[in-house]
Amino acid sequence: MTQRERILLVTAGVILLLVFGGVWLNKGVQEALLSSFWRSDGTWEAIQQRGAWRVGLDPSFPPFEMLDASGVPIGYDVELAHALAASWGVRADIVAIGFDSLPDALKAGKIDSIVSAYPYDERLTQDFLFSTPYFDAGLRIAVHNRSTINELSDLSGARVGVEWGGLGDMVGRRLQREGLTLTLQPFETPEEMIAALLEANSVEAILIDNVMLRKAQAAGLPLRAVNAPLESIPYVIVMPRRAYELQRQLENSLHQFQTDGKLDELERRWFAEHATEDVAP
Amino acid sequence: MVDFRKHWRLWIPFAVFLTFAIGLFWMQQRTLRVAIVPPQTVQTVNPKAGVHTRLTDEVEEWKIKRTLEMVRELGAPWIVEYFPWAYIESERGRYHWTHADMVVRHARQQGLRIIARLGFVPEWARPKDTTPLYLDEEHFVDFGNFAAKFVERYRGDIEYVILWNEPNLALEWGYTAPDAVKYTQLLRTVYPMIKAVAPEVRVLGGALAPTLAPPGSEFGVNDLFFLQAMYDAGAGDYFDILAVHAYGWHFDPDSPADPEVVNFRRTELLRTIMVENGDAEKPIIITEGGWNDHPRWTRAVRPAQRITYTVRAYEIAQKEWPWLEALCFWVFRFPWDQNSYQDYFTFVRTDFEPKPIYREVQQYLRAFAP
Repeated sequence: MTQRERILLVTAGVILLLVFGGVWLNKGVQEALLSSFWRSDGTWEAIQQRGAWRVGLDPSFPPFEMLDASGVPIGYDVELAHALAASWGVRADIVAIGFDSLPDALKAGKIDSIVSAYPYDERLTQDFLFSTPYFDAGLRIAVHNRSTINELSDLSGARVGVEWGGLGDMVGRRLQREGLTLTLQPFETPEEMIAALLEANSVEAILIDNVMLRKAQAAGLPLRAVNAPLESIPYVIVMPRRAYELQRQLENSLHQFQTDGKLDELERRWFAEHATEDVAP
Repeated sequence: MVDFRKHWRLWIPFAVFLTFAIGLFWMQQRTLRVAIVPPQTVQTVNPKAGVHTRLTDEVEEWKIKRTLEMVRELGAPWIVEYFPWAYIESERGRYHWTHADMVVRHARQQGLRIIARLGFVPEWARPKDTTPLYLDEEHFVDFGNFAAKFVERYRGDIEYVILWNEPNLALEWGYTAPDAVKYTQLLRTVYPMIKAVAPEVRVLGGALAPTLAPPGSEFGVNDLFFLQAMYDAGAGDYFDILAVHAYGWHFDPDSPADPEVVNFRRTELLRTIMVENGDAEKPIIITEGGWNDHPRWTRAVRPAQRITYTVRAYEIAQKEWPWLEALCFWVFRFPWDQNSYQDYFTFVRTDFEPKPIYREVQQYLRAFAP
């Protein structure tokens, strides 16, 4: 063997060691390699055998999940879970769990998925699979249907209502710091803020969370959103890390619900029914 | 074999790599160095005001410094901070103080008084497949050794330590049944070990979770019953201050105390139990508490209410509760977004953007300060 060949051999050996070492150290790479050979989904198989999809949620976040008078979980997410399960020919078993314990329950196999107004969390992508968002609860700019405001820059010089101390208040102050010349008008409640926009005309726009906005719209108030959310809070369905088939089925069904209007229907039902208690005028 | 002496050019890549690595390391050290400020003092109209910081998992020193700086600028002289046993003594008898030193150093420079919460069990002190909150009686002495080392190291810097957290919840005992006698035994073991090395350090016991759990619940024990059971077991001699968690849920801070309700003034019921058990001279520190302003959580209030209630609670602490030494709200800031209702307990966002509640509380606490 020549000297050059020896050097090449040593170099190749070092590279091989580095590659194997990297794979050995990285759990994600290991699983990706394994799954490429054998993509079985134990969660989906268990759902099929059981005839039930076990869904974890915390019924403390109306209108997405709450308890009715007899203690039964109801809400947007509950109905979404039942509709998804039905589309796969199984039933949804709802398991009420405290919000903080939901990821642990999923990891421990106590439930098959989380459907609980659960915001996407990139820190958990090593542990779980996520669906595409089915709702964004983020902060929106809302105006009267007749308004000429059509984008963020149109707020320059405008009086903008915010809920004192809330996310809209904070983002409004940030926009001011960033140079947008708007005047913030704080209100103690969202109801007062909406009334100021639609009745008193004391503000030209409001910063409001999308759930409140959709509830107001569902109640028939002449409000429309401007631009994409100023702060996005996408709600997703969470699944075990290797539940590839469940994820595929879920994406198909969600896509179907988006195209056939099922998600809109859910919004109308749950946002409108619970709109009257906190939406003015 | 390659003869490196003969083929000296082969050394060149190594030399270049080594120089590059040393240069990178040097630059990184320069970047990470955070200046220690001259000692500061907290300007406040309410010397009982405090917050629970959450620096346990905050890696970067400048963020630790900035967090504590913002606490001082808020006008809150007290902080509660968690010092997990498992992080410091991950191997039995080997202590890693770097991070704790950093937190303590910056807190002291900012003029803040630290209440150190101790807990979180290292793997070597618990059976396999248990959670880091599991601790059985045979390891109480190990916990005591750690606590003694801790107070010894920070003597003069930390005068208050909380032993364990929410011992009336199963979760906080690694999903074993909460037991006031067991917790009293923990206090009885650890208290004298702390006093032996730093008699001036004041030991906080309790830190009970406010809960209406019914008798026999697998999740927890009603905090009022648990405190009485602690006294019955003789805990009174083994803590200097009662730590209290005072959450308001959706009640305002003036809602009267009621054993059937979790609200801010539930603190008064715990105080009554202390007095009835001959502990009237012993103070209380609220080490967690406050209101949440998540837009939809059933236990939350509106942001405007949260601001009003928070300021009013600080006033109550100062004007109405002479037996209260400090009121520390949960939670000042998280190192990263929790993406849950927990984010709506904070005063400052993870990127240090102050929430409106920060500004409003600051206005109250520093009303007459420069």
